[in-house]
Amino acid sequence: MTDSLLLSFALLLPVTGMIAIPFLPSSIRANVNFIFVVLIAAITSIPAVKALTGDTVDVVINGTLVFGNITFHIDSLSSWFILIINLTCIHGAFYGIGYMKSYKGRRTDLSMHWILFLLFQSSMLWVCMMQNGLAFLVVWELMSLSSFLLVIFDHSNKATLQAGINYLVQMHIGVLFLAAAFIWVYFSEGSFEFSSIEKFFFSNQNLWLFLLFFAGFGIKAGFIPLHSWLPQAHPAAPSHISGIMSGVIVKLGIYGIFRIIFFLKQDYTVIGEIIITLSVLTCLYGILNAAVHRDVKKMLAYCTIENIGIIGIGIGLGLLGMGNGNTLLAVLGFAGALLHTLNHSLYKSLLFFNAGSVYQQTHTRDMEKLGGLVNTMPQTALFFLIGGMAIGGLPPFNGFVSEFLLYSGLLLGIKSTGITLITLLIFSLAGLALAGGISMLTFTKSFGTIFLGAPRTHLQQQPREVAWDMRLPQYLVVIIMLSISLFPRFYFSIVNNIVLEFIPVAPGGRAPVPFPLLNGISAIGKFAMLFMVLLVLIYLIRKSISRKHPEATGPTWGCGYIVPTSKMQYTGKSYSKSLGKLLSFLILEKKKYKEISANEIFPAERRHSSHYNDFFVTRIFDGIVDRLLYSLNYFQFIQNGKIQMYILYGIFFIVLIFLGTIFKFI
Amino acid sequence: MISFILIILASLFFTGIIIRVKSITSGRRGPGILQPVKDVIRLFKKGAVYSKTTSFVFQVAPSIYFASILMAIMVIPLGEYRGFISFEGDFVFFAYLLGVGKFFSIISALDTGSSFEGMGASREALFSMFAEPAFFILMGSLALLTGHTSFQEIFASLHFGSYISYILGVLATFVLAMITMVENSRMPIDDPKTHLELTMVHEVMILDNSGFDLGLIVYGTNLKFAMYGALIANLFMGSFPLYITIPIFFGIQVLFAIAIGLLESFTARFRMNHNAQYILALSSVSLLIFLGVLLVLGQFN
Repeated sequence: MTDSLLLSFALLLPVTGMIAIPFLPSSIRANVNFIFVVLIAAITSIPAVKALTGDTVDVVINGTLVFGNITFHIDSLSSWFILIINLTCIHGAFYGIGYMKSYKGRRTDLSMHWILFLLFQSSMLWVCMMQNGLAFLVVWELMSLSSFLLVIFDHSNKATLQAGINYLVQMHIGVLFLAAAFIWVYFSEGSFEFSSIEKFFFSNQNLWLFLLFFAGFGIKAGFIPLHSWLPQAHPAAPSHISGIMSGVIVKLGIYGIFRIIFFLKQDYTVIGEIIITLSVLTCLYGILNAAVHRDVKKMLAYCTIENIGIIGIGIGLGLLGMGNGNTLLAVLGFAGALLHTLNHSLYKSLLFFNAGSVYQQTHTRDMEKLGGLVNTMPQTALFFLIGGMAIGGLPPFNGFVSEFLLYSGLLLGIKSTGITLITLLIFSLAGLALAGGISMLTFTKSFGTIFLGAPRTHLQQQPREVAWDMRLPQYLVVIIMLSISLFPRFYFSIVNNIVLEFIPVAPGGRAPVPFPLLNGISAIGKFAMLFMVLLVLIYLIRKSISRKHPEATGPTWGCGYIVPTSKMQYTGKSYSKSLGKLLSFLILEKKKYKEISANEIFPAERRHSSHYNDFFVTRIFDGIVDRLLYSLNYFQFIQNGKIQMYILYGIFFIVLIFLGTIFKFI
Repeated sequence: MISFILIILASLFFTGIIIRVKSITSGRRGPGILQPVKDVIRLFKKGAVYSKTTSFVFQVAPSIYFASILMAIMVIPLGEYRGFISFEGDFVFFAYLLGVGKFFSIISALDTGSSFEGMGASREALFSMFAEPAFFILMGSLALLTGHTSFQEIFASLHFGSYISYILGVLATFVLAMITMVENSRMPIDDPKTHLELTMVHEVMILDNSGFDLGLIVYGTNLKFAMYGALIANLFMGSFPLYITIPIFFGIQVLFAIAIGLLESFTARFRMNHNAQYILALSSVSLLIFLGVLLVLGQFN
């Protein structure tokens, strides 16, 4: 099959699916959607795999009226992201079949949901292929809109709508930056094609255009201070959608940044320093907030911000490597970032699916209301445990592989010259380690509060293990995760090849990764295996020895107190309280509580509530938005609701354009 | 492999020495130095009581904790003899392995649903988190100084430096010793002999463990002591032949144990709510080492 045929299939298939789904009986819509997702994935993965093995795919539609030449270009970078998108979407669509069963009464909504799902997947894939600025913006917009509509599935809920609109607005601020950047290139080079960005970088200063692009893509990716849509949109969306959004959509911001970075011609070091500083801060800020929030999906959203920070550290390192001419550093940084992108999309979708399973059974996302679910939902608990360990970068799971690459990169980077750079990198090293520590605190807290101990509240319906069709995709994710952690060398060689294709290599051919390092990477897999073997061995010894001795069960030791209740358990809030208190300047706690006054002899029942606010939203954005609203109030006379006035505005502008053309202003 | 065997040997008497020193300073004779190991063996032979609230997590956690410590010990070298696990960047692996153990010891405490154990778990997570940057800055500085990134190469080439590298060694010893105290929840951070659950960190987390599991946890603590002792010993070992390094190894282990005993006898515990800051302050000592390294490398010129 030729490339253009494949690509036209990639366009036709989703359209067919979108038209077909509403006409099908509602019971099979989800399944048909899944079939279409798999088909699209298969069709687009063929050229992607081809590109990864070395043949880039190019299809050009020449001379369109508005766009100019539209180039579909699939190189190894796009392929990597296309494969990640497909993988996550397949899991998500599969999980969605089971998850959306509980909404089966809302047929029209569901039909819309599956139509949008196809559009969503395809638009993300197109984003990775388009190499024409204007067309790119169109598909980028399609992606934002379809995901917005998917987020507000539960549109009768006010909070959901609010989160959705917030997402919509922020995405458009992002588009504004991107459009400005593309237009700048257009004015300077006369073309919207991506190749003209490269030309622009050849002849102009790189920093400012890059920062414009970075702002646009950074909003999507969730770098601070542009992150505030994430913790609102993720909890609002259905779980498989949050899984895909966090796993992939956010990564497309990273894709955009990568794309632009590989066009850069100078200013590597300064851009690298900016990115690495911002990333370390993003990383720490994200995980600190994740540690204190009690809404499980909000916690996961903040954790996504942390992981974007980690990916950003890799990108920054890679840029520093390019700046120094240190190819190995560039490889380690970029490869670490790319691998972490895959890893994060895996375990984050796993965790979101997990949160969905818990939500389906208990109808709450509030961790403090849960507890003891490990007894009723053991497999779900196991998935969460694995996801939580992987996300903390703990061996023997895949998160460690990419973090190890980044640590190696940082350790290599500190050998470079320049005291500023060394200091920056050693702080990044400490920051990454600290983030790892906080992430352990976050996930022990979440796992402990949701799954361990005794149930904290009486639930209306006894939770049960979720259906097999919701567990199966999670098993698949876990298997892929284990394959990365046990065979890291294979995955590293893929990302290594991608990176080597894009970075300028010193004369003398491809710079090989030195043997000791490769050795280290395969050692991780080997010793992860050894660890698991050792663990099983010790457990078996324990079992055989303790079998000989008597075993008894009893209540938990209550330190002498004889009537403990499950409400006396340590809560998640108190677990992370001391951390929140230490960093109260950054994690803003809002309490509502009325003190008991001295003359109140019989105190009435009272409530205590406490929640955490986002620093940037409360301290910076809310103020700006308030003032903006205040000043825009003065212009309210324009929007006065009189239809005559609106017609007048129309005439006014037509006259303005007319005059403009006469006097040659435009 | 030789370091693995030596650390196991050292772990047999390490806690015994600490207890003996504490006894002598408080005017008692104290038990023999092998008493802690005998206690562990006694625990191994006992039956167990499990809480009704607990799940499979509570059953597997002690084994994982112990396995993670064993794996971590395999990473430690002895002078120029590399450990069983040795590759570039192995100290990252080391730190994260210990993280796995800690992760499980924390969730096994949370598994019991006891408010006291949750409290201990929360403190353990917080304190060890703050100790993390100190270790990484220390190792990063040493990697910068020596130009290597595996334990064995760092320690083997550390010896050849100038006099200032020995000063750095002393500072590094201090940092490592303090990290040992944090990791093992010992005196300035936590008082293992306290009699109130509210004020404990590590001890309160294992209130519900018994029998073989408790034995594993207790012996794990001994191993951790010897492991950090071995790390400190490595700082001063260089690449001498075995007949010198082995006495150095045991000498430093004994000295370290005595020092801990004295420290525990004569200091009071830090205020619990300020502990986190104290531990974070450890990072500043690590930064001092980092500055020292920059000085040695002449980066300030």
